[in-house]
Amino acid sequence: MDTQEQELEDIELFQKHVSDRFTELSSPPEDDALLSVSWLHRLLDVFLCCEAEFEAILIMDRDPSQLSKPPFDRLIPEFIERAVKALDICNAVANGVDSVRHCQKLSEIVISALDQNPLGDGHAKRAKKALLMLLSAMNLDDKEGTHVKATERSWSFGRRGVNKEQIAGHFRSLSWQVAKNWSSAKQIQSMIYNLVAPRGAEASGLPSPIYTMNVIMIFVMWALVAAIPCQERNGLPTHFPVPKQLNWAHSLIGLQEKIADEWKKKEKKGMSGLLDELQKMEKLAQSLIDFTDSFHFPGDAEKVKEAAANVSELKEIFGRMDQGLTPLQMHIREVFHRIVRSRTEFLDVLEKGSAPVL
Amino acid sequence: MELPENLNKDSNGYESAEKIILRWDSTASEDARERMIFETDRQEADLYLQAVDEIQRSLSNVSISTSSNAGKNANAVDDQSKVNTTIQIAMARLEDEFRNILITHSSALETDSLFDPSSSSISTPSHHELEEDDTLSNDDSSHHDLLQLQLQHCESSDSSTYRSTSSIREVDLMPSEAICDLQAIAMRMISSGYLRECIQVYGSVRKSAIDSSFRKLGIEKLSIGDVQRLEWEALESKIRRWIRAAKVCVRILFASEKKLCEQIFECVGTDIDDACFMETVKGPAIQLFNFAEAISISRRSPEKLFKILDLHDALMDLLPDIEAVFDSKSSDSIRVQAAEILSRLAEAARGILSEFESAVLREPSRVPVPGGTIHPLTRYVMNYISLISDYKQTLIELIISKPSTGSRYSGDQTTPDMEFAELEGKTPLALHLIWIIVVLQFNLDGKSKHYRDASLAHLFIMNNVHYIVQKVKGSPELREMIGDDYLRKLTGKFRQAATSYQRATWVSVLYCLRDEGLHVSGSFSSGVSKSALRERFKTFNAMFEEVHRTQATWLIPDTQLREELRISISEKLIPAYRSFLGRFRSHIESGRHPENYIKYSVEDLETAVLDFFEGYPVSQHLRKRSQ
Repeated sequence: MDTQEQELEDIELFQKHVSDRFTELSSPPEDDALLSVSWLHRLLDVFLCCEAEFEAILIMDRDPSQLSKPPFDRLIPEFIERAVKALDICNAVANGVDSVRHCQKLSEIVISALDQNPLGDGHAKRAKKALLMLLSAMNLDDKEGTHVKATERSWSFGRRGVNKEQIAGHFRSLSWQVAKNWSSAKQIQSMIYNLVAPRGAEASGLPSPIYTMNVIMIFVMWALVAAIPCQERNGLPTHFPVPKQLNWAHSLIGLQEKIADEWKKKEKKGMSGLLDELQKMEKLAQSLIDFTDSFHFPGDAEKVKEAAANVSELKEIFGRMDQGLTPLQMHIREVFHRIVRSRTEFLDVLEKGSAPVL
Repeated sequence: MELPENLNKDSNGYESAEKIILRWDSTASEDARERMIFETDRQEADLYLQAVDEIQRSLSNVSISTSSNAGKNANAVDDQSKVNTTIQIAMARLEDEFRNILITHSSALETDSLFDPSSSSISTPSHHELEEDDTLSNDDSSHHDLLQLQLQHCESSDSSTYRSTSSIREVDLMPSEAICDLQAIAMRMISSGYLRECIQVYGSVRKSAIDSSFRKLGIEKLSIGDVQRLEWEALESKIRRWIRAAKVCVRILFASEKKLCEQIFECVGTDIDDACFMETVKGPAIQLFNFAEAISISRRSPEKLFKILDLHDALMDLLPDIEAVFDSKSSDSIRVQAAEILSRLAEAARGILSEFESAVLREPSRVPVPGGTIHPLTRYVMNYISLISDYKQTLIELIISKPSTGSRYSGDQTTPDMEFAELEGKTPLALHLIWIIVVLQFNLDGKSKHYRDASLAHLFIMNNVHYIVQKVKGSPELREMIGDDYLRKLTGKFRQAATSYQRATWVSVLYCLRDEGLHVSGSFSSGVSKSALRERFKTFNAMFEEVHRTQATWLIPDTQLREELRISISEKLIPAYRSFLGRFRSHIESGRHPENYIKYSVEDLETAVLDFFEGYPVSQHLRKRSQ
């Protein structure tokens, strides 16, 4: 089999693997809900596997001058550009995980306050205070270090006996580490820009896996941004211009549409991350805050029981976050390193194939 | 085992404590909201703390009694709830007080404490200015993009800003009274199980203090995309600023925060002060290092080498302090990131050197430098490696493999050879430097072939290789690395070029002054063919004039070399001409129009030789001089 045929085979195999992996991601087992911490781990693994195969096809044993001719003289630099944007997103999302951890810690207060028998007024008040902070934190306007949109929401602070200034001051400190005008939504938008599926002869050559890898990279970054709160997600695109006819793309497109639907629903209510654990935590916090608001010792037995059940669920989510968030940050860091390395390889290839600039 | 009765016995103590707590319930009274206990007076504060202690004692009493009389005494459960409520009110109050004390004493680090009067200015080897030869003509720059590169590295002496911080130096971030108060409050909060609230408040206030310090230090939030887009020159000044700021951050700012945590949470164990410290400092630390990381992954190009080395050295220097300040398990990621960045910077330096070598080899400009003078590439490369030798200390550690000298480059280009055998015992860095010179010459050899005149090609090589030799001799570090053996080789090369030049130009000129072919046997004159002789003179004159006209515009920038070559020419030309004149002038002078043939005296020629290689065209007044 000559190299041309071998290459075509490799590309086909690559795309089949991509399809398989995303199909697996689409039908997660019960405790591995879409956009949960463990699902995100799997997503990142899928990225790393696909990227490894991609690099093998594109770079290994290949004459660099091949990749400096058209259309690669455009495709490779574009890929490198997108890689840089992905790096910034990795950093922003890793930073965002810290804000999720912040919620986790607030929920820990709630748990330790309410996990008491018998439950006293003091416990309930303590929990209420923490719950208010928690709900505000989860609906934090993504804008850099500004006050909470949530202060305008239905539950007013004064009524619930919490100092508004405290909350605002508290959030000012949670400012993002990223550049002032940086917007995760805009980054994703600019990654999608100019993404055109190869046609004709190009569709059966190397441009095809390049396009595939671009789509994968964009999808992964997009899903991370949707799940984890990070700076300025307003205007996050919800549509990817990926042609439906592409075989390998079916599952990916399906996933993307599912997540996009969730996003559109949530967008109206506020900007909390779609992270499954965060969503569940929010629901639990809502019902618990109603409970604490109306609680007077010794409280209604039914309601206390219900609250206890909620607390126990909250404990479980806390546990998952406690276990999974730091590894998630490390995993994102691994992806970061891989993208850096991949970019360096491609830059090397470009340099070898072109005239020197001294 | 205490019985409920005891609770009643102590009820006076408990009741008065409860009263104090309730009096300061901020959800219940305007007055309580307006004033802060710890700002009021010492006595109030002490009373409050005592009250809290009293309530806590009661709580443990009640718990013990409830557990022993479980279910029997409904009152006990009630009491417990009441006590719990009071505790919660106290804790909420203490949280506010805690926050307030922190905010009062949390401002950006004073610039005074950033001055380190004992240390001298930055010790990186960055006080280098590359030579800018003023003989560089403007014509050259138009077709040499390589000159866009600026190799000026003047370290600006902005001594008005922060001096170098050379070791960990903790400063007091807060007055000790405030610390005592915070300690006292923290103890109560933690013993009541309100640890997490305590950490939250602490972290949020201290983090914004660090943010303001960061702003003061000029630490920017730049994305990786931003850094890739900025011009390198702009980045250089940011790197300089970052190096200064990072030293202050690690050695003073973070170290002081750590000390503060240790002080405030002294009585409650190291895990807690670690947690507070990380809560406060993790985000800012990552923000700080992100910039260095962005630099370490930027596209490689030669002009970046030296600032990257500066950054590498600064980070290397800082690493032990980073490890000292971030020594807990929870700060693993920060230490790891710092180490990763360091290794990337090293990789970048290696990569840049390698790319530089490759670029020198393939530098494609074909337009020959007018006058055969020093090529801008030569200047650039020699300046660059002089600078490299200044960074010898760092680079010797970083450059660990020999230069790659072959198959890496595309097939149809031949590459020079380098005999590693004769370079035994040289460090990899030295081998790289020699390789660069080898590669430079190889490129120059190629460029010399674009000269139509072979003599000029030789002159070009002579000029450039001589320049290389001078530069090597001019830098002790460079000379030491290149070694005298190779230097001799280079010297031989330019002398050889000088010889080749002379052969190419003067052989044919001097050929006119030879004896053979002038004597005709069997004639009645003194045996010399007058016509042949006249031809000779005419040819010699024409050739010499041509050579003179042309080669006056050639340039040998180095005065001494110019002199030497002219002397060498004269040594062959003048005696030959003098002797020729001596032997044959009478034959010409006895004929018609001798001035058409004997145009020049020996002195004329001597003077004319002085015009050679000056780089200026000469007018045709040469002929008239001696008449």
